[in-house]
Amino acid sequence: MRTLLVFIACSLAAVMAAPPQNKGIFINLENGELCFNSLQCKSSCCHRTSGVSLARCVHLAADKQECSVKTLYGTYYRCPCESGLKCKSGISIGGSITNTNFGVCYDPSDTAESS
Amino acid sequence: MFSLWIAAVFLFSTVYTAQVCYDRLGCFVDTVPWAGTLQRPLGKLPWPPERIKTTFILFTKQNPSTFQEISALNPSSILASNYRGNKTTRFIIHGFIDQGDENWLKDMCTLMMQTEDVNCICVDWQGGSRTGYLQSSHNIRVVAAEIVYLIKYFQSNYNQAPADFHVIGHSLGAHCAGEVGRKIKGLGRITGLDPAEAYFQNAANLVRLDASDAVFVDVIHTDSAPMVPYLGLGMSQAVGHLDFYPNGGEHMPGCDKNIVSQIVDLDGIWEGTRDFVACNHLRSYKYYADSILNPEGFVGYKCNSTEDFVAGKCFPCPTGGCPVMGHHSPTFKAPAGTVNMKFYLNTGDARPFMRWRYRVTVTITGDRDVSGTLRVSLYGTNGNTRQHEIAKTKLRPGSTYSAYVDAEVDVGEVKKVKFLWDNSQINPLLPKLGAQVLVLQRGKDRQVLQFCGSGSVREEVLQPLDPC
Repeated sequence: MRTLLVFIACSLAAVMAAPPQNKGIFINLENGELCFNSLQCKSSCCHRTSGVSLARCVHLAADKQECSVKTLYGTYYRCPCESGLKCKSGISIGGSITNTNFGVCYDPSDTAESS
Repeated sequence: MFSLWIAAVFLFSTVYTAQVCYDRLGCFVDTVPWAGTLQRPLGKLPWPPERIKTTFILFTKQNPSTFQEISALNPSSILASNYRGNKTTRFIIHGFIDQGDENWLKDMCTLMMQTEDVNCICVDWQGGSRTGYLQSSHNIRVVAAEIVYLIKYFQSNYNQAPADFHVIGHSLGAHCAGEVGRKIKGLGRITGLDPAEAYFQNAANLVRLDASDAVFVDVIHTDSAPMVPYLGLGMSQAVGHLDFYPNGGEHMPGCDKNIVSQIVDLDGIWEGTRDFVACNHLRSYKYYADSILNPEGFVGYKCNSTEDFVAGKCFPCPTGGCPVMGHHSPTFKAPAGTVNMKFYLNTGDARPFMRWRYRVTVTITGDRDVSGTLRVSLYGTNGNTRQHEIAKTKLRPGSTYSAYVDAEVDVGEVKKVKFLWDNSQINPLLPKLGAQVLVLQRGKDRQVLQFCGSGSVREEVLQPLDPC
C-alpha cells in the first residue's frame, strides 16, 4: 500500500513537472536535483549512494575526500575530484565494471615536493 | 472614494463586541486590536479548548525518543512523567496545518538531549490548526492560554521561575509564544521561527510576537518576502531583540529545485512535499535544529540590509563579537534596551547548513591577461575546504581580487591556502598565473592571516601558499 502511494506521488510529481521546463530540469541542474548523467549537473557529478538509490547532483570531491576515477556510466558512488586534484586509486577491471574504482583525492604537486 | 467606502463598511461591519469565555482559560474578545484593524479586518472567536485539544508531549534525557503525555488537569500524569522542576523547560509549538507529533518537533527535542538536560515539551494543537487560516490565527490564543495554565501549574507545584521557560514557536506558533510571554511576566526566552506574516505583520504589539514578550526574544526570518505577490509566509518586520535574516531572509538556497527533485527528497516524500509547499518557511526550524549541536557555524553579522551584507559592509564581527543564530543566541550579551537588531549570515543549501565566513583578498601575478576563474581552498588544523570561487572575470596580473567565502567545514587555524585558476577559453600561448599575496580574514574574530606564493602555475594546477 505504502509503495503504491509513493509510486503514485512520484508519477504525479513527474506529470506535474513535465510541462514547464524553463528552470534546470534537464541540464544545468543545481546540487540536490535529480539526474541521470553527470553531464546534466552544473557540478558535473551525478551521485548515488547505492545501486538502487536515486542519483542527485552534488559537489565534486574536495582534497583528501573519497573519490572515483572518471567512468563511462555517468553516475558515481563517489564523485570525481575537483580540478587540479587526482584520484589516487588502483584501477581494476572489476572496479571498472562495477563502477567502484574508489580512491582519495590528492594534489599531484604535493607529492612532487615531498619526493 | 469608492474604495474608502468599501474599507469603511468592511471595518465597521466586523467591529461588534463578541466575547467567549472558557473555564480556567478566561475570556477572549474580538475587539480592536484583535480584529477590526487594517491588518486584521475580520474577527473570529477562538474555538473551545475541547475542540482544539491542546496536548503536551514531553521528552527528557530519560526518554529522549519515547514521549510522555502530560496535562495540568491530570497531575498524576506529570508525577508519573520524567518532568523535573529543577531543569529548564522548553516548549515547541508548531504552526498552521502542522501537528505536534510531526518529526521536526521530536527531532529538535532529541537533539537538545545530546547537549543539555531539559524538559522538552512539544505542543500539539492540530485540532485548531487544520482549519481556515483566519480561524487558526485566533485559535492560538486558546493554545497560549493552555500553555500558560501549564506553566502556572509548574510554577506553583515545582517552584519553576518564569526565567526557566523557553518557548519556541514556528509560524503561527511564534505568535502563540508571544501570547504566552504576554501573560507570564518575565518569561525567560521566546524563539520565533519565521513568525507568520498574514494578520500579524505591523499589527499591534498585543496581537503579535514582540520584544516585550520575554526577557530575550530571538527571531529567525527565512521567508520574509511579501505575501503578495511572492507568497512569502513569514514576517519581514523585526520583532525580537535579535532578528536573524539567513541568506537575506527571503530566498533560501536549496529551495529553488525543480518540483520532482524537491518532492522526492532525501528525507522522504513527506518531507519533500512539505518543502514543496513551504520550503523557505520551514528552513527556519531546520537551521535552528542544526544550530543546537553546531553553534559556531551560524555566526550572524550585524547589518542593515541584505545589500550591505553582500557588499561586505558588515564584515567582520565587531570587537565585542557576534551572536550566533539559533539555539545558542543567548550567549550574546545585547546592550540593554536595544531591540530589533538585525543580523545577516549565509547558510548551506542542504544539511548540514553550517558555514564559516572568511574574506579572501588575492593579488595575482603572471605573464598576460586572460579571462578565467580564480579559486581558493583553505587548509587548516581540522581539515580543508573545497575550492571556492573568488573571481570569474578578466584576470590581469598585478590586480587584486576580493571575495567572501562561506566555508562548509570549520578548518580551525588556517595553515595553508591553495590557489588555482582555469581558463574560460583555449589559449595556445599556455599562459601562467600565480598568487603573490593572499590575505585571509576570519569573520568571527577578525583574525588576519597573510599567505605568500612564489612563481606562477598553468591552469588547473594547484599553487600552495604558505604563511608569511
